[in-house]
Amino acid sequence: MKIWTLQKKRVGDWMAALRAAGKEVLAPCEADGLLRFRPIDDPSAIAVRPGPCPFPFKEWLFPPHQVLFSYQFEGGKVNLREEEVLVNDQVGLFLRPCDAAAIKILDTVFLSDPPDGFYQLRRSHLTIVTLGCRQAVPSCFCPAVGLSPTSLEGSDLFLWEEDDRFLVYGVSEKGDRLVQVSPDLFEPGEGPEPDQLPSPLPFMERKEPLTNVGQKLQGLFESDLWQEVGRTCLGCGICAYLCPTCHCFDIVDESDAYSGIRCRNWDCCAFPLFTLHASGHNPRPDQPSRYRQRVLHKFAYFLQTFQQNMCVGCGRCSLFCPVGMDIYQIVLQLTGRCLV
Amino acid sequence: MAAVRTDSERTEKGWEPKLIAFVCNWCTYAGADAAGTRRMLYSPCVRIIRFPCTGRIDPHFIVRAFEQGADGVLVSGCHPGDCHYVSGNLLARRRFAIFKALMDFLGLEPERLSFSWVSATEAGKWVEVVNSRVEALRKLGPARVPWGTLSGPPPSLNGRSVAPMPQEPLSQVKPDDYQAVESQLRQLAEGLLATGQVKAVLGYGKGSLQQATPIVITNATEANQLIFNEHCVQNLTVYLTSPSFRSLRPLGVVVKACDSKSLVGLLQEDQVKREDFRAIAVSCPGVKVNGRWADKCLSCDQRIGPIADHIVGSSEPKSTAGADPRDWEIQTIEKWAPAERWNFWMNQFSRCIRCYACRAVCPLCYCQPCIADKNRPQWIPTSPHLKGNVSWNLFRALHLAGRCIGCDECTRVCPVGIRLDLINRRLSLEVAKRFGYEPGKDPSVPPPLATYRPNDPGEFIL
Repeated sequence: MKIWTLQKKRVGDWMAALRAAGKEVLAPCEADGLLRFRPIDDPSAIAVRPGPCPFPFKEWLFPPHQVLFSYQFEGGKVNLREEEVLVNDQVGLFLRPCDAAAIKILDTVFLSDPPDGFYQLRRSHLTIVTLGCRQAVPSCFCPAVGLSPTSLEGSDLFLWEEDDRFLVYGVSEKGDRLVQVSPDLFEPGEGPEPDQLPSPLPFMERKEPLTNVGQKLQGLFESDLWQEVGRTCLGCGICAYLCPTCHCFDIVDESDAYSGIRCRNWDCCAFPLFTLHASGHNPRPDQPSRYRQRVLHKFAYFLQTFQQNMCVGCGRCSLFCPVGMDIYQIVLQLTGRCLV
Repeated sequence: MAAVRTDSERTEKGWEPKLIAFVCNWCTYAGADAAGTRRMLYSPCVRIIRFPCTGRIDPHFIVRAFEQGADGVLVSGCHPGDCHYVSGNLLARRRFAIFKALMDFLGLEPERLSFSWVSATEAGKWVEVVNSRVEALRKLGPARVPWGTLSGPPPSLNGRSVAPMPQEPLSQVKPDDYQAVESQLRQLAEGLLATGQVKAVLGYGKGSLQQATPIVITNATEANQLIFNEHCVQNLTVYLTSPSFRSLRPLGVVVKACDSKSLVGLLQEDQVKREDFRAIAVSCPGVKVNGRWADKCLSCDQRIGPIADHIVGSSEPKSTAGADPRDWEIQTIEKWAPAERWNFWMNQFSRCIRCYACRAVCPLCYCQPCIADKNRPQWIPTSPHLKGNVSWNLFRALHLAGRCIGCDECTRVCPVGIRLDLINRRLSLEVAKRFGYEPGKDPSVPPPLATYRPNDPGEFIL
């Protein structure tokens, strides 16, 4: 693995060089009190806080609302138009390792055969620059799902903050190409292997493994425990919409007398409408059964299909849940390891 | 409803305003008919849609018309006292007063939304109303609707720090104030469960991430898991209508003064029976959101709300009540020009991701299914584009007008920080001013938009 160093004060120059090379830089920044990945020109707008950015990067690969095609009736004819046109290469800057790992999970879903063209187009234009975590926040539990504050999963370049500079680890060729955009800013450097970096891993408290609980959870399918843990779920979509790996969507046609669109919108298994049949029957009739689906999809079904968990331990769902439901504690409770 | 062509012809030379008129069959439609048979000339820019009664005209229809490109909407029906169905127009008058207040607050130019009483004989008045409305629209130019576009950066509320209400009054609150309540609460819950007066107690417990989290206690020995502190912010009455809690009735539910008001709403609207729950009212000094006293607590003067079967702690009114800082923000917004207000709110709504957390946490959003989940017809577009988001946020606000008790849970949980509290509060102020009604007081009176008084103010009606 190649290692460089980049002076922090030169990040702006690097961003300018990336933009000059026709790339759009997406970084966490704050607007109206909302922290989100946004295209930026000015490095001073970047707002990196400990822990993951509240709104995940997911929206840039899998937008909340995506028009698949549109049509217009004109003079007795239907004019069909493909909507997705993306010209710019994009650089996702300062993702956390959990977010980068989440993109790898999304890839598993959307790029498996047959690949999803809309996702594939955006993904092929994206390079991911990750910033390792020098500090964890209380909601973090990446060690519990086999990741760490310095894991390289999904990253193209991996940055580590060290005084007034970054150690830059080249993880993929795509990442190396970003360095080559302005090679004079990067000096060849030396550093330990990423897993030897002084990360907060030893001090993190939430690291009881959640990686091999699939069978045990499935064995609990009929258990009354779900009523107990899922009863207070209110059925909003915050956990799914802020989750960097949740990827369910709804296909919707919207039209009037003259034109229309077909689009795909985020959807969420906590909504009653998610499984409502046309007959009126709902196979998941109450909130506990919907919560069970969420947990089992993340820790059992996905594991069965793709041999990995669908959770990266970012802790957003638990931190932003209106009623403080904490998926880490709940899985531990279900598997009989710990009581809240 | 016929779609109105929006794009090319709106920008062409010779633009003509489009006024959609929703009229009642018995009075205004007959009046318009009379104008026709008398060969009276008036603007052809009006498109008339006939309804059985103004009471049947849901604000949804008006929103739909704007969504599809109308430049203005006129609603017209019978004069008070003339309604074919006795009181349809009087109910409509209340509803439209609130709807108009909402649209004004959001920044729709007032001239775009008009109401009139035109009887079957008033052909001349009909002609006059239509012509004056069309002229007003012509002066305004094409509507900024169909909403679906943003123009420029929105004006800012300049951060909350400018609000003239500092947090000092509540700084006298000490941890002891909660601790005394907490230990009494545990004793009470233990007693209620041990004697079988309740099947379960729904209260706050310690969350794994330091927050308070709702917990259900069914065994008297678990009562010591209950906590009460400044983080106990959730409004637990939201669970009373949840199917998963039906088997736990009678349920003891821990309520703060504000939460207790939503019990009034649920009883008023027949959503819970009085015998299904016991309100355990905890004396609340105030709660904090993100380390700051919640806005609602700054003006709260009560420790115990209107419905309390068991009182835990002092029921003395609070001496710390001051002004609500939102009133200052609302006044600031109202000083802006309509275009600025519109820009501000469109920017707010454009962030909405339709997680429906605002609906999920609201104790008074209990409809099964919610109108947003009905798709035949699809009144509210499900897509999180601006058009769908405006529809959703408008109707959430309208359905809560006169019912919202101001617990601010919707605003607390919104992951994209939409200021729903400002909208809710603005409508509450309007309801109080017009109908002298304050929600969450008396379970025996009907909600204000489900009733009327013959002399309700109708100054906005032509």
